[in-house]
Amino acid sequence: MATMNAVLFFSFLLFAIGCAGMLVRRNALVMLMSAELMLNAANLNLIAFARHSGTVTGQAFALLVMGFAAAEVAVGLALVVALYRRKDTVNADDLNLLKG
Amino acid sequence: MEALLASIAKNIFVIFGLLAVGGATAMVASRSAVHSVLAFLFAMLNIAGCFLALGAEFLGMAQILVYAGGIVVLFLFVVMLVEMAKGKETNKAVFTAQAKVAAPVVVAGAFAFLAVFKDTVFGASAAQALTLKPGLAEGLDVARNNAQAVSRGLFADYLLPFEVLSVILLVALVGAVVLAKTERV
Repeated sequence: MATMNAVLFFSFLLFAIGCAGMLVRRNALVMLMSAELMLNAANLNLIAFARHSGTVTGQAFALLVMGFAAAEVAVGLALVVALYRRKDTVNADDLNLLKG
Repeated sequence: MEALLASIAKNIFVIFGLLAVGGATAMVASRSAVHSVLAFLFAMLNIAGCFLALGAEFLGMAQILVYAGGIVVLFLFVVMLVEMAKGKETNKAVFTAQAKVAAPVVVAGAFAFLAVFKDTVFGASAAQALTLKPGLAEGLDVARNNAQAVSRGLFADYLLPFEVLSVILLVALVGAVVLAKTERV
């Protein structure tokens, strides 16, 4: 039987790894995957609290979050492809047009 | 053998959680984008296992369908389009120039979070095992009739967010097509 501590701790670890990947990696694709990882950590928490309270609200919202994640990936990957067409790169360090 | 199986069944959530954390770490650390996508797939499948261990059968199956079936395939297609075209950049740096600052900031933030919320994560109040309180879900046992209970939540209590999500998915579909199409029409 999973304790609440274990669920919260693994969710925290997954979110921290996703946050670190978002900030540290150069590749835009890996940054998108890190965002997905953070959304999944939030989903894990939602399901844990749904189970803790015995209601279904958290699970319903986890399903909605999954749909939002799919929409985000579709738009994000289209942006990456458009970026590659124009700039010929997907590295975050090479995209410094807004730098003063 | 029996004792081993019993202990595995008792700690199945922790096993899936550890595997998911390992997959996530491999995703962030691996140099090649294809390896990153495969580690991401591994992490997502183990998170689906976590969902199943928490009694959310419908969400676990939806996680496998959406991520392993849809999102990872999409990622692999884009990696094929973008990364494979030029293999000459494999020896360049994996991490950003700001990584030396960003990594300690994330670690410090993680420790600050644990320090602030240590009563929530490690405290005795949260130590009791997760159990279901029967009777709260309007006559439906969330664990036993999982898909039925989730559908009641989605289509009765939260119908408006569900419909808003369908509109957002349509907008994302059109937006992705517009963003990714070539200039000449």
